[in-house]
Amino acid sequence: MAIERPPRVLGGHHTEFWDRCTDAGFSLQRCGGCEEVLWPPSSRCDRCLGAELEWEEVSGAASLVTHCEFEREYYPQCPPPWLVILVRLAEGPLFVSNPQGIGRTGLVPGLPLKVVMLDCEDVHGRFRLPVFGPVSGAHPELPSKIVNKCCNFR
Amino acid sequence: MSATAISDRVAVVGVGETDYRADYQRSRRAELGAPVGEPDRASSAEDLDEAPSGFAAEAFTRALADAGLEKGDIDGLAVCAGRAEEMGFERTAEILGLTVRWGAETGLPDHIVQVCVDGLAAGRCSTVAIVYGNGSRGRGAKAYGGVSEPRSGYMNQWYYHVWGFSSPGAQYAFTYQEYLDRLGCGEEELGAVAVAFRKNARLNPNAVMQDPMTIEQYLAARYTFRPLRLYDCCMVNDGGACLILQRADIATSTNHRPVLVGGVGRYSPYARHTQMGFRRHDAAIGCVEEASAECLGMAGVTPDDIDLVQCYDGFSVQLPMFLEGLGVCEPWEGLSFIQQGRIERDGVLPCNTGGGLLSESYMHGMNLHIEAVRQLRHEAGERQIAGAETAAYCHHGHWGAISMLYRRG
Repeated sequence: MAIERPPRVLGGHHTEFWDRCTDAGFSLQRCGGCEEVLWPPSSRCDRCLGAELEWEEVSGAASLVTHCEFEREYYPQCPPPWLVILVRLAEGPLFVSNPQGIGRTGLVPGLPLKVVMLDCEDVHGRFRLPVFGPVSGAHPELPSKIVNKCCNFR
Repeated sequence: MSATAISDRVAVVGVGETDYRADYQRSRRAELGAPVGEPDRASSAEDLDEAPSGFAAEAFTRALADAGLEKGDIDGLAVCAGRAEEMGFERTAEILGLTVRWGAETGLPDHIVQVCVDGLAAGRCSTVAIVYGNGSRGRGAKAYGGVSEPRSGYMNQWYYHVWGFSSPGAQYAFTYQEYLDRLGCGEEELGAVAVAFRKNARLNPNAVMQDPMTIEQYLAARYTFRPLRLYDCCMVNDGGACLILQRADIATSTNHRPVLVGGVGRYSPYARHTQMGFRRHDAAIGCVEEASAECLGMAGVTPDDIDLVQCYDGFSVQLPMFLEGLGVCEPWEGLSFIQQGRIERDGVLPCNTGGGLLSESYMHGMNLHIEAVRQLRHEAGERQIAGAETAAYCHHGHWGAISMLYRRG
């Protein structure tokens, strides 16, 4: 059964993003001129201003950058505590999403992640939503440096 | 011509604000009679609620009186609102009955102040009123964000509803979590901001929040956007604020010592900003560094010359980030710098001396500019920082960073 979610932002290339996610898998635009992968969808490459943008299914590989947990309800479909993550896609862009099968204390920076396409539904209809789950067998990389400066200061 | 040529060419000659505390208490009384859990309501162009303009008009009237100017002296206007669609330029100018030769139209207060400095320095007008009104609370909003968030020329605030993500607070929670992950501590440390600003607010009769706050009370409050807690987040309250800026060469006949705009700086990297990269610590600090270097360079001062700071504190974590970018401490050391009372009124660098957006009033930064002016006039009463000569202002947000340097004329 499809999971209910707050409404997607649709229109133009935003609609195309969701159509491709639903029909083909997690897809983004790549600039034909400079090879940059874009997010969010756009009519121009923000690096070289090229207009030849091709949709392609991306790897779905990502690593965790940071996270937060909503304790205040903004959407009835997303009751608190509600986790949101910021990930770095293997192709370059940062992407805001949700963790799948990882609790708050497991969200360590550098954690390798893999896209999961969730069957969802909003007021516009059925769609597949890219969220991110653990890579089986992978161990999180610890942050490169724990400096603990603030505690030393006190 | 370099920007140093316009340093000290513009003065703030008048400030005014509404009765934040009394208005907030009125809102609270109304809310107690209203249904609980009322959702955030979107503003609508069809809605002719002109409360924001009314607040702005009151602040404008008080700023004119403060400056000792007449309405007819105003020949330039800028209009800022809590939500841009709440208060249009033309209708506001009509309500105030103004005739102007120059207009900065509408925008966020901090962008607008810099535009007005340029307009005055270029001689396009002599005296500009920057009027601001906010009627969000009266419309039922207790926080910003949610599906009602209007689309206003940028996407980051409303693009991620489908993932249950909204609100600037959650974006700053991303940044604060980076501190916690890197430092291995910091939840108690950040509380120094809310506690210090509340102490300042208690010396400000017009501040909305005046109950004492200890670090224990700070830590006991609920999370809003974990790891941020309730008192890390600004309030939503109604009111108006006004700054009157004048060419410094004619700003000699007003009621108060003029306060000069010594420097301004802005750094706004827009590429990919819906990706939230600007919320990453290093990127945000970089914006503050760029904007502050430009501002301080224009004014010819160094961070050591700054007597007090007014930092846009929509969320408390903005202060340590600003102090790092300004150069008063190293990157990632902001949380340690703010310990041991350094940012309090009697500390080495007093910050948000009127209580800030966290405890005085949420006027999108306008009240922070006003507090800087009062301190540099030496008219801040019980909370006056003795001998204050220079004040730094900073706002970093989804559009980058803006820095300003005010000094006593």
